[in-house]
Amino acid sequence: MKILVSVISILLGFVAGALLMLSSGANPLTGFSYLFQGGLKSVTRICNTIAYAVPLMLTGLSVTFAFKTGLFNIGAPGQMLIGGLLANVLALTAGLPRPLLLPLVIAASIVGGMVWAAVPGFLKARFNVNEVVSCIMMNWVAYWVVYIVISDHFKSTTIDTESQVIPAAASLKTEAITLLTKGSNLNLGIFIAIIATALVIFILNRTVLGYEMKAVGFNRFAAEYGGINVQKNAVLAMVISGALSGLAGLTFYCGYLSNMRIGVMPSQGFDGIAVALLANCAPVGVVFAAIFFAILQTGKGFMNAMMPIPPEIADTIIATVIYFAATSKLIEMNLDRIKKFFGRKRPSKSEGSGEHVEHH
Amino acid sequence: MAEYVVEMRDIVKDFPGLRANDHITLQLKKGEVHALLGENGAGKSTLMSILFGLYRADEGQILVKGKEVQITNPNVANELGIGMVHQHFKLVHNFTVTENIVLGLEPRRGVTMDLKSAAARIAELSRQYGLEVDPNAKIEEISVGMQQRVEILKMLYRDAEVLIFDEPTAVLTPMEIRELIAIMKNLISEGKSIILITHKLKEIKEVADRCTIIRRGRHIATVDVAATSEQEMAEMMVGHEISFVIDKEEKTPGDPVLQIEDLSVKNSHGSLGLRDFSLTVRGGAIVGIAGVDGNGQSELVEAITGLRRAEKGKILLNGEEITHETIARRIRRGVSHIPEDRQKRGLVLDYTVEENMVLEVYGQRPFSKHGLLNKRAIHDYAARIADDYDVRAGEGVLSRAGSLSGGNQQKAIIGREIEKQPVLLIAVQPTRGLDVGSIEYIHKRIVEQRNLGRAVLLVSLELDEVLQLSDRIVAINAGQVIGEVLAKDTDENEVGLMMAGVGKDGGGVER
Amino acid sequence: MKKILATVLAICIGMSMLAGCGSQQGSETPSAPADSAAQSEAPAEQPADKPALKVGMVCNAKTIDDKSFNQATWAGITRAAEDFGIETKYLIAADQSAAGFLQEIANLYDAGFRMIITPGYTFSKAIFDAQKIYPDCKFVILDSAPQDDGAEAPEIAANTAAIDYAAQESGFVAGFACALQLKEGEFGALFGQEIPPTKLFKTGFQQGVIYANENFGTNIKMKEENFVWSGSFSDAALGQQITAQLFNSGCNLVYCACGTTALGGFNEAKARAEKGEEVWVVGCDVDQYEDGLLEDGRSVTLTSTMKNLANSTYDMIKAELDGEFVGGQQIIFDAKNGGVGIPETNPNLSDEVQKEADAVLEKIKTGEIVVSAEPTDVSAYN
Repeated sequence: MKILVSVISILLGFVAGALLMLSSGANPLTGFSYLFQGGLKSVTRICNTIAYAVPLMLTGLSVTFAFKTGLFNIGAPGQMLIGGLLANVLALTAGLPRPLLLPLVIAASIVGGMVWAAVPGFLKARFNVNEVVSCIMMNWVAYWVVYIVISDHFKSTTIDTESQVIPAAASLKTEAITLLTKGSNLNLGIFIAIIATALVIFILNRTVLGYEMKAVGFNRFAAEYGGINVQKNAVLAMVISGALSGLAGLTFYCGYLSNMRIGVMPSQGFDGIAVALLANCAPVGVVFAAIFFAILQTGKGFMNAMMPIPPEIADTIIATVIYFAATSKLIEMNLDRIKKFFGRKRPSKSEGSGEHVEHH
Repeated sequence: MAEYVVEMRDIVKDFPGLRANDHITLQLKKGEVHALLGENGAGKSTLMSILFGLYRADEGQILVKGKEVQITNPNVANELGIGMVHQHFKLVHNFTVTENIVLGLEPRRGVTMDLKSAAARIAELSRQYGLEVDPNAKIEEISVGMQQRVEILKMLYRDAEVLIFDEPTAVLTPMEIRELIAIMKNLISEGKSIILITHKLKEIKEVADRCTIIRRGRHIATVDVAATSEQEMAEMMVGHEISFVIDKEEKTPGDPVLQIEDLSVKNSHGSLGLRDFSLTVRGGAIVGIAGVDGNGQSELVEAITGLRRAEKGKILLNGEEITHETIARRIRRGVSHIPEDRQKRGLVLDYTVEENMVLEVYGQRPFSKHGLLNKRAIHDYAARIADDYDVRAGEGVLSRAGSLSGGNQQKAIIGREIEKQPVLLIAVQPTRGLDVGSIEYIHKRIVEQRNLGRAVLLVSLELDEVLQLSDRIVAINAGQVIGEVLAKDTDENEVGLMMAGVGKDGGGVER
Repeated sequence: MKKILATVLAICIGMSMLAGCGSQQGSETPSAPADSAAQSEAPAEQPADKPALKVGMVCNAKTIDDKSFNQATWAGITRAAEDFGIETKYLIAADQSAAGFLQEIANLYDAGFRMIITPGYTFSKAIFDAQKIYPDCKFVILDSAPQDDGAEAPEIAANTAAIDYAAQESGFVAGFACALQLKEGEFGALFGQEIPPTKLFKTGFQQGVIYANENFGTNIKMKEENFVWSGSFSDAALGQQITAQLFNSGCNLVYCACGTTALGGFNEAKARAEKGEEVWVVGCDVDQYEDGLLEDGRSVTLTSTMKNLANSTYDMIKAELDGEFVGGQQIIFDAKNGGVGIPETNPNLSDEVQKEADAVLEKIKTGEIVVSAEPTDVSAYN
């Protein structure tokens, strides 16, 4: 049922995108065909798409995890930045062999994201500060921390707005994968994303921690009644959510890229929200939603190059698709009506939400 | 002219795992009050939702004035002259009565709304049916009883011929109930027909002409109310004999389990909701707190359970002080709590029944070990509670708690709290909004706990319930103990006076 | 439920089939690329009859009309398209990183574009990679050179032309002209991130002011702290705020050289000029007289430090069409070959000042004045 909601959202998005294309004089079917070709038509392109999807998977998971406990982590960009910064700094300074360095770099990114998310979590728990506001502020603090640390200590010799390139020993990129995928950006990050997804599912469904967090998210009053420490859980949920965003920073800055740029807020942090919405906050769904987003982003350029439409229109088309995809909540609310629309010709036997029996 | 204004024939409605309506027939004569009686979850609301166009029946026919109709949505129902007064009012609070009533069919004059003529018509309708509603009052400024009348006016304004009342008295005071019954009689005399959904037998007896009884989705009987006793109707509803008398053995109270000394607690407005309150509950005894709503009952209960901080005073459980312990610690010590609001506090509605059954014990063995949940143990435990306490749900313990009817939700909570083998059981409004069958069952279970030697603190706004169950009754007024009596030595009048603030023996408390 | 899923599936299948048809049609058109040209695979050999040249551009901003680099480059490309009838296209990278740029270059290449022009230093790593992956494609990188991450020196392949501008020379002329026009006052500046081209503009501008102070008796003050690095090329609000502070601290001219951020500076100056204050700005990269227009038709733009990106772009395309494309080296555009300077007409400069400025430009061309690329010490002019 939840999948149906997401599928309908995506289809609606494409219909809206198609109308836009028609209105700018292009054939939508050709356009969308190029879009998918651009994302998937060769091994390299498929792998680039997946590589682009990896940070999205992790920020999507991060947002999903916080959502499950009733918190809105809009601080993923900042957590990515700090996670990426710590990882980069360690990679540039540690000078250890790869088997030691790589785990340390991974751990550094996790710690960075955790610390950055713990602040809004703590403020929420202790002083009931709205986490959305504090997360946004933390994003900008991160933005400038990265700016100052990199431009003062780790500036690239060639480009002043970027950091030095990390040694290959600290990168998630491996020669084997790069060769195998014919020079794509794919790297070990995909394994990190898969492991993280499995861990999130495990925590949410199998552990006491997950039980407590979901209870707080669904109904904090009942959770409190059941003896669950709501405040502690808010901090913990943000910390874990932050760890996931920190990992997203790692896969982006030490995998997809090999350094950091200053003065840029990573859009993957915000896109993670849309990914989580499209996936209806189901961890496995996040993986697929992220890949879908990545196809749109990587395929857009090729569609654009092949079609007589300016990039602004192409951007608008993709934004429209994303917009509709992210409004799945709306679709869910109107699902009954949609079903009636599809089942109108023959009175259907299987209507009704199946949940409402009788409330008194 | 057909005999019936509305006729529902052999209605069948299936939900996944549950047949909510199984060939139910309901025939409403013109000018009658027809009661629809059934336990929670019997299928009353489903049947009415079908008539009102919210659901569609899988089988069966609906006839309005002898003609078969397809009611696909509430608008069709409105056009057919069927109106519903919902249990939870659907009103915009900062709108006036008139604005609320015309919402959806705003009268226009050019581009502006013509509220004046609408208000005049509402005033006229209000007079005609004796509703006494001021068309220009704001909803937030009028009482709940008045709001209900606005809902009725809404239907009349839309020329409804058939009015469905869904549990209309649940939210009303006794005075308002009497007025509502008078209004219903006015409506009938003006030629309207009424379907009354309820499980309160007294009201049926008072106002209804005929009564259709359903049980577990099936049509049991349609009876003439005047010729049928309350007892008979109740038994048809629950399917077995009912005793209104609670079987309570004599018992000598044991040692004090809960001792409260000079407890003061702030309410949510920041002033003291409970002041220098002292109380003792002994093992094997039920102490009932009698009082009008909002006189400190919630503050008392929340302070004992740890949901609210005590400003001053002591709470002792089995002689040990727990005043400043965490909620979790108190639960472990054996405090069980049937909360006042089962949907807000008692259950995580989005969790399954089985997940809810371990809400307080998930962290203990065998339900978890080393931080990992043992799903098997949780399932078995929950299934046993559901079985023992007759919790009925479409998909068993895997059903979402929110999908259960109110009675089943409450039974689940009571099962959970009793299965913890508590030292102290706090039951707040344990039968609120439940039907006769469920009430009887829950009362039995609570008395059973007392008979097992456990301490029970009962807080209820229903004086009957307090009188029936308690061994001792403590009357509370403005956050203070106003009097304390033995249940067997008192009556409704004495306790009622204390509740109103008139203390027994000048308010002295005997221990 | 089943039926709905079936319907959805049917629609999906229908759409994908139609999409399939679409792609077939696409590959039949003559302009379509060699089918399987992935970015790392060896490109197919050029057919004997060389297809018409398609020139593509990748933006380094989110918009093409940035009133700066991207717009100027695109102007050169469209001028060439009008003159030579070539097919053109610009793409905006979804992800503004080397990997993102490389992806867009791959998209253009796969779509049959064989000449790709990129404006700005942010492309140095992407072009460094691309020139090797696509040896049959010509690359032009403006205001920078292809260079590997962390490498000591640029590495320009035979299929790449790296274009460099002597930005300090245009800065010098502008600084001189402004000092001469205003004679008294204090100059400040609003910059973006601390990148080499802006640093050149800055030092040149300061040297120009000093030249005027020393040789023409003007009295223009400069404080190092009033040459502000805002850190952003895309934050108009920030630019407006900093510019307001500069004017408040006594500056009567602010040199705005930072893309969209600079537009905030322009807005602040315009708002003040509308209220009667006498404040001025200097534009950058392109002639920004129009951006300073007030309601009454005057402009707050005194002049602009220009890099003639449009001309360089046009020249490179023309060279490629004529078979005279020169790759493998740095091509310097400076005052001598008309690559840098100030606009030909500056309505806010008096004829006299314009004449003196032209004379200074001439001296730079002949080498009589040498503008240093090193930072300037302005502490003597506080």
